[in-house]
Amino acid sequence: MSDNVLHVTRVFDAPRQLVFSCMVEPEHLTHFWGPTGVSAPLDRITVDARAGGVFATVMVNDADGSTYPTSARYLEVSSPERLAWVEDHSGMTVTITFTDLGDDRTQVDIEQANVPAQMMDPAARAGFLTSLDRFAAHLARLTRAER
Amino acid sequence: MTAAVEERLDATFAALADPTRRAIVARLAAGDATVNELAEPFRLSLPGVSKHLKVLERSGLISRRRQAQFRPCHLERQALDAAVDWIEANRRLWSERFDKLDDHLRTLHAPTNGDPHV
Repeated sequence: MSDNVLHVTRVFDAPRQLVFSCMVEPEHLTHFWGPTGVSAPLDRITVDARAGGVFATVMVNDADGSTYPTSARYLEVSSPERLAWVEDHSGMTVTITFTDLGDDRTQVDIEQANVPAQMMDPAARAGFLTSLDRFAAHLARLTRAER
Repeated sequence: MTAAVEERLDATFAALADPTRRAIVARLAAGDATVNELAEPFRLSLPGVSKHLKVLERSGLISRRRQAQFRPCHLERQALDAAVDWIEANRRLWSERFDKLDDHLRTLHAPTNGDPHV
């Protein structure tokens, strides 16, 4: 297992190239980048899809209009199999792998590695080998059972 | 999320980046314990445990009472909850994005000949 903090996986009924395009084209991103109740206006999405290029969005809360800007730099843009960026603010690295499952189905795996300065120490990074998200779920169960 | 909150989360995650510290946190979730009680199951020296406890204490994940020489360690659930909440919020964010992406892909795949409003 790699030293990543969080893993998210989903299978989509669409060809790999299309799913990849959805992740790098503002005209697609605007439809889904904001979570439930949050929009991502097209005119506020910046995508320069190449290593070192900017990926910036502004998410707008539909209920109260509050905004959440995001900005990142692409680390890798390998259409249609892999995409990676590092968030400017948090230093978190997001790597997305697109796997062609055949029959126009595509698996998307997101790995998020939180790499603040103190995490760059190899010993500390090795500590993440036991996936932190499973640990969190385990603790959540423990603490809830106690309450 | 404010900078202060993010800094605290950074410290929390850094503290949790070590398997022994995670085991200590899991042990303390079951109740307070002294350094001796913590050292035993992990086969660590007392200075070894103390080092880990200092990191955990600095991150705000645990506190130690100034009482007697035993100074039992106490898990500060709020700090832990913040880390767990962040992870759950992040997972929810992607899950909701994926739900929307799924809908969007369906729209793209919908037949383009014929009136979709019929």
